[in-house]
Amino acid sequence: MKAENESLLSRATSLGSLGAAARQQGEEVAAAAHFREAFGLALDAANQATDGGSHRARLDTLRAAARFALDCGEVTDARRLMNEAFSIEASTKFADEWAQLRDVTAWPDTWLVAAVRRDPPDVQALDALANRYWKTLFGRCQLLTLNHQKAGDLAQEAWCRVLRVRHALKPGGNFPAYLTTIATNLWRDWYRSAQRAGDMADHRLESLDAAHPNEDGESVALIDRIPDLKALSPEDQTLLAMDIDKALEQLTPQRREVLVARFINGESCAEIGQRYGRTEQSISGWVRQALKEVKLHLEAAGRGAAVKA
Amino acid sequence: MSSKIPIEELLRWRVAKAETDAPPAPRAARLLEMARPWWEIWPERFQSFVERLGGIQVAYGHAMAEPGQSRTGHPVPTLIVCPVEELETSVRVLYINVRDGRLRLRFQLDAGAAQDHESFEVTFVSDKPERPLLSAAAILSLESEYCIDTELCEELAHGWEQLKVTDRMPFRLILRSDKDVG
Repeated sequence: MKAENESLLSRATSLGSLGAAARQQGEEVAAAAHFREAFGLALDAANQATDGGSHRARLDTLRAAARFALDCGEVTDARRLMNEAFSIEASTKFADEWAQLRDVTAWPDTWLVAAVRRDPPDVQALDALANRYWKTLFGRCQLLTLNHQKAGDLAQEAWCRVLRVRHALKPGGNFPAYLTTIATNLWRDWYRSAQRAGDMADHRLESLDAAHPNEDGESVALIDRIPDLKALSPEDQTLLAMDIDKALEQLTPQRREVLVARFINGESCAEIGQRYGRTEQSISGWVRQALKEVKLHLEAAGRGAAVKA
Repeated sequence: MSSKIPIEELLRWRVAKAETDAPPAPRAARLLEMARPWWEIWPERFQSFVERLGGIQVAYGHAMAEPGQSRTGHPVPTLIVCPVEELETSVRVLYINVRDGRLRLRFQLDAGAAQDHESFEVTFVSDKPERPLLSAAAILSLESEYCIDTELCEELAHGWEQLKVTDRMPFRLILRSDKDVG
């Protein structure tokens, strides 16, 4: 019995490795099939271990089965197996090797995405995934929209788009990069619509309210120089953020997007060029030009002494 | 006064500040509610649109034989839904490409249909059985064509991979204007 159990687990492990390899190569259909088969074998092994096996062997088998369940997004099964393990040995709940399984916030993206793409999606996994990448997504949206409210709307809408096509999500893919791409595409669509809407577009109407000159007709957002960024007071941080936003606002949306892609998302000029159908050299030129323009606008805001393009 | 700060460092600082100032992440339940397609929220409305769509007759042969239309595709029966009216019409698919799980499609509204919408939310409805397939945003381009660029589920991506613009499209369309969607 023990030998048969070990054989089942060994076959499951091999299938799991195949699944992981397939997932890494983006072959999700093959990966899911391997993980599902591995899960089935591990379940069989867990059932056999019930008949006279040691506690340790049974717990190990249950843990393997729970991991394979999570690999293929079967969260309910994984939780059932975990509860079974905790009922066999209460201390298991606190054991390190079970910690990652127990705590949904510690799950890798692959498990979370696999759980979200199921029908119905696992709500706890979705909460964990949304929390994990919300701030990062919001930061990028803020730099694109230059508006706190719109950044929130854009980030939320990006999530909605992702959820609407969640069955097509690839657990082995780069989820945060995908989320950022969706948000960027959405923002581009919004911008195009607004551009066509002309003078009555939301952003133009808002920009009328956004100008806050002081009594001398100068912007109150300007301060003369940028000291150490880490040592800025909260007020100075706000002013500097406003100046940067104003400088970015002067760029064309395309240039702004390229700056975000290059310096915030860390994409190479070649990668950005592929998206735009331009050469690496062209994008490099756009980046240089955008940096120069930002520098000029920051200089105009009285910060020229402290920045370099 | 510090030494000069590179612009890229300022950008990274700005993003970090935005991340710090970010509102809390929306809860999963709210996201799922927001992501629910409109046909699940208003099934009766969807059903009535589908019935109207089913009643739209398009003379395929005649339309394909029209001069100047040789390079464009079949007309696709379409219902345009605006807050004040619903218009039964058709669109012409000018380009369709399915690659890497993405659908890229361009279409033009037939003459007579409202051309002044910057964008539509397009719902693809299968012919028989009539069921919603997906919805996506269509943005008006400078050439007065509407462009769709969206993810497809595996089933649709596989089924539509071979579609050519000259094929009869396996769907009908419901175009909802921004105002109707809002």
